Amino acid sequence: MARKTMTLNLTDKEMAVLEVLCEKKDLSKTLLMRQALRLYQRVEERLEEGGKLFFENESTKEKSEIMML
Amino acid sequence: MKFEISREWIEAKARSEGDYEIGAGLLGFDPSVDDGTDGVVVAEESRLAFSRFVALSRRNLRLSAEGLADYADVELAEVMSIESDLSYEPEPRTVHQLAHAFSVDQRKLMELSGLARPKSPAFIHEAVRYAARSESLEELSEDEMVALEAMVAILSKR
Amino acid sequence: MSNLPDVSEIVLLQRETNELVPAELWDAITDKNLADWEHAWTPELLQRLLVLAKQGVAQKHWPQSFHWNWRDKAQSIKGLLDRQCFSVVCDDMTQAMMITDLSRRAQLESQKTDHLVYVDYVEAAPWNRSELSGVAPRYSMCGSVLINAAIQYSIMEGFKGRIGLHSLPQANGFYANHVGMTDLGLDADAHNLRYFEMTPEQAEEFIKKGG
Repeated sequence: MARKTMTLNLTDKEMAVLEVLCEKKDLSKTLLMRQALRLYQRVEERLEEGGKLFFENESTKEKSEIMML
Repeated sequence: MKFEISREWIEAKARSEGDYEIGAGLLGFDPSVDDGTDGVVVAEESRLAFSRFVALSRRNLRLSAEGLADYADVELAEVMSIESDLSYEPEPRTVHQLAHAFSVDQRKLMELSGLARPKSPAFIHEAVRYAARSESLEELSEDEMVALEAMVAILSKR
Repeated sequence: MSNLPDVSEIVLLQRETNELVPAELWDAITDKNLADWEHAWTPELLQRLLVLAKQGVAQKHWPQSFHWNWRDKAQSIKGLLDRQCFSVVCDDMTQAMMITDLSRRAQLESQKTDHLVYVDYVEAAPWNRSELSGVAPRYSMCGSVLINAAIQYSIMEGFKGRIGLHSLPQANGFYANHVGMTDLGLDADAHNLRYFEMTPEQAEEFIKKGG
């Protein structure tokens, strides 16, 4: 599968978050950003279909809506 | 993406794989067979619509029951049971052959016959509505022709 | 439908001769695979279901994937980055297919919320399924090949070989005993299908050289 390279400019704060997430999920920056892109695409697709993104508390079953970026 | 799966690995694993089934997939599970009964739970109306559709299509082709059985390569007894006995559950192969003979979507016809759970109950309701317009088994009236064409259109939609 | 897939050379076990024969693992489900499903798998499956029906086997004991529509499913995931398709081809015929999902997280306590490759759908061609006919499959090892591919894919994505799936009841033994996955039990949110998951250690054990 052909790959294309891009340069990503992040603020210090964004880079710090990225590094924390990479450490936490034991993923490289590239792999984590690719996962983020997949998630963004899926969220966008569901929003376009009229869906809403919720988190549900497993024990209380309480739902809270995520604010769309 | 390229994968490395060596001949040696296959040889080693083949000793233990045997004849296992491998199917996995949440979306593929047919909840209709989990209801404790021995068959798909089917609304009587859906079978009625299926029965009417087969009868209308046969008459439209100007075929007798025997003629349809020959044409579609199915058993005559099945054709007669489908058209006259609403409790009759058709064989999967027969539905497949009839879908081919009538040039409609095989899966949709399977759903209408009750052999598969409908993805969308709305299409069943639509088919039933049109089926109800046909009563007589003589030559198709103009209304019946319209009804048949509408049912073919529904069953042909992907 | 898709660009040309990447092809990996593999072998399958041809049961009639008990010999290993050349085959291919594709990283896609193409128009050719879907045509094979429509024109070869489906009629064969229906023939086999007819046999079951004539034997008086209750429908709840029929293979539960008999109404799967691969064309619809492939179309619905077209273009999605978190879905990856695979197919096994031998003798110019599709022998098995699989769709995976990268958006799910592990449930096993030791790896909870870690990323994994989730097997959305996997199915072998009807002639490779002994439960349908009572005779040996034409080709075996399709399942092992696809699970191996899912594990390698998981490693490529940084998920260390973790995979998960909901097994159809007839396949529980394959995932529990042959693949060596952990059984997390019946999943009430998934029609009570059994959920299996693989840790990195289990994955390494399964794909290691020498089996």
